[in-house]
Amino acid sequence: MKTLLTVAAFAAGVSALSTGAQAQDCTTKIGATLPTSVDWGRPIAEVAQFAVDQVNEAGGAGGCQIEMVLRDTQVDPKVGVDAAKALVDLEGVNVLLGAVSSGVSMPILSSVTVPGGVMQMSCCSSSTAFTKLSEEGKTDGLWFRTFATTAVQSAMGAKVAADKGYGSVAILYKNDDWGQDMARLIAADFAAAGIKVTSSVAVNDGQPSYRAEVTKALGGEPEALYLALYPNEGTSAVREWLSLGGTQNMILANSLKSDEFRDNVGLQYLGNALGTDTASPRVASADAFKAAYVEKFGSEPNGPGLANSFDAAMIALLAMEAVGKDASGKDIAAAVAKVTDPDGTPVTADVAGFKKASETLAGGGTVKYQGATGDVRFDANGDVSAPAVVWKFTDSGVDEVEYLSLGEVDAFIASLKK
Amino acid sequence: MIGVISYLVFFTTVASILGIAVLGLNLQWGNTGLFNGGVVASFGAGAYGTLMLGGPAQDGHLGGFGLFYPLALLGGMVAAGVLAWIVGKLTLRLRHDYLAIATFGVAVAFENVMRNATSITGGAQGIRGFERPLRDVLGDGFTYNAVFLAGVLVVLLLVYVFLERLTVSPFGRLLRAIREDETAARSLGKSPDRIRLISFVTGSVIIGLAGGLYGTFYAFVSPQDVLPILTFQIWAMLIVGGAGNTRGALAGAFLIWGAWTFSGWALSRFAPVEAQLYTGSIQFVLIGMVIVGMLLWRPQGLFPERLIVSQPGRNREKTQVEGFT
Repeated sequence: MKTLLTVAAFAAGVSALSTGAQAQDCTTKIGATLPTSVDWGRPIAEVAQFAVDQVNEAGGAGGCQIEMVLRDTQVDPKVGVDAAKALVDLEGVNVLLGAVSSGVSMPILSSVTVPGGVMQMSCCSSSTAFTKLSEEGKTDGLWFRTFATTAVQSAMGAKVAADKGYGSVAILYKNDDWGQDMARLIAADFAAAGIKVTSSVAVNDGQPSYRAEVTKALGGEPEALYLALYPNEGTSAVREWLSLGGTQNMILANSLKSDEFRDNVGLQYLGNALGTDTASPRVASADAFKAAYVEKFGSEPNGPGLANSFDAAMIALLAMEAVGKDASGKDIAAAVAKVTDPDGTPVTADVAGFKKASETLAGGGTVKYQGATGDVRFDANGDVSAPAVVWKFTDSGVDEVEYLSLGEVDAFIASLKK
Repeated sequence: MIGVISYLVFFTTVASILGIAVLGLNLQWGNTGLFNGGVVASFGAGAYGTLMLGGPAQDGHLGGFGLFYPLALLGGMVAAGVLAWIVGKLTLRLRHDYLAIATFGVAVAFENVMRNATSITGGAQGIRGFERPLRDVLGDGFTYNAVFLAGVLVVLLLVYVFLERLTVSPFGRLLRAIREDETAARSLGKSPDRIRLISFVTGSVIIGLAGGLYGTFYAFVSPQDVLPILTFQIWAMLIVGGAGNTRGALAGAFLIWGAWTFSGWALSRFAPVEAQLYTGSIQFVLIGMVIVGMLLWRPQGLFPERLIVSQPGRNREKTQVEGFT
């Protein structure tokens, strides 16, 4: 009891201090629920904060400086939902960034943000369940994600296999909502492109060895291997795959676009590995993001979800700028269309771009946001499509092999559907 | 201020739901000495059962029977009970750590089945689209949460009273007798196997009830809700609160869940900006330290078990013995 009282007294004291410190200018809080206790989650939060910093440098959004209150989800739905609820109720946020896992984003959406009228923008949740929920009209237009739906990614995988002339492919996928979606879509896309899927094997995280899974995938003697895995289990699985004599013809999902994966597997084994990703457009803003990222963090933005997280934060803040101070979550969500308008004034994803956007919006115009992941454009369900890129690993990071514009991506997806 | 109340209502709801689960585990471990390492399997069976029975029709997986809500919740409890009966029949001959390992395995298997049996449970995407009961009448906002909390508190109270009565009844004494010395209990003509099974199933049904309420509250359940971390959390609550003491079990639920969420809030609020990114990890360290500290300095929990003299037909007498285990 004594310790409890001490803690309470301490908290009260600190809270008095902090309210005293923030009396100067007006500050609007936005919330972020991201898995910062997980290795790959921390950079996603860092880059969101980076976007907020740039907006503050440009004078803030809606006339106020922005403070991003970051909470850890621990990839636990209970903890994530509680954090989101605390952000909405205690911090009074109208905009929530996150979460990463669909299994966390979904209960936050259904029990916190939709009932609370808060706009939720996720960088990385890819489950097709969100599209269905939105089609049923249960998201109230409050849900957005900057992660191109799994469909783009899987179609590109099929395109790579078809271009390379692989006749048969084995699939290893992460056994979560993203991986299961991926495996289902890519199998359908391979079939549509006339490529045989010899086997599709689920890989659970955190196992010491993936020999059984790899052996099963090797069984059908595939000409190539498709990997929808994260760097950790991806490294172990590929090592075992190669040591058991598997082919070096590999197709990688964007989650493996990481220096860690390249270094741990070894570049000499990845000569025939081609990756797919949603791409940066050929505009200055993407280069500006890359350059700014390198300057800030000292490495290329190669982790999963970084560009998406940056865009999620930027678009949310642009929308806040568009509606002005003290807007409700619903107003902000409605303003997203204004800042991602294909016919609007193009703006880049940096300080200058944000300033330009402010001016345009203040003059009653609309803005076309050209972000780190491309010309972001949401459909009615809050989903994005995107240009795509095929990449391979090099000594210094990744190199682009082929670039497909949004039109080409859509045409290829349409050709698969026939 | 409204925000604070709204959050407290939310927090109390989740803590109470977890509290119900801790009460269920307390019956198994605190009173009967069954080391259930698979709490999450019962919890999940309750949640999945309730949502599948009570949810709207969905393509792609089983469920969507749209049952009247109390029936759906009851169905979830039955699912948890049936699972516990099967598991109990198979594993209750095991003792202590062996039982813990076996039930832990069952829980991991349960999660994997939920994750992979896409055509039955929706796979990793989980079950969504559940309509919370009375939502048409109460809307989605604060009123709903307040009424839901009232409902959860009523359930919690019922479970609490039931277990308090059970503990002081001759049956409660029998449970403790089995916990302390099974051979002695057998020599008195009791059947420990049967009683252990009854206790295990009853506890699991209560945990399943908590799971059903949890699924209802979030209107969603996925395999991420039934990871082993939940078993760990519920055990931590029981150990900190005091195994064998109903009140302690409840206090533990509120304290641990409070510490879990408060530490996250406090760190996000007061930690310096440079440290913000690491608060997730710091939080884990803090929670771990609380539990280790508890085990070192007060292993009997905040509210140790009370020695209860339970005799039928006479006024209940209670005396307190510190550290009685």
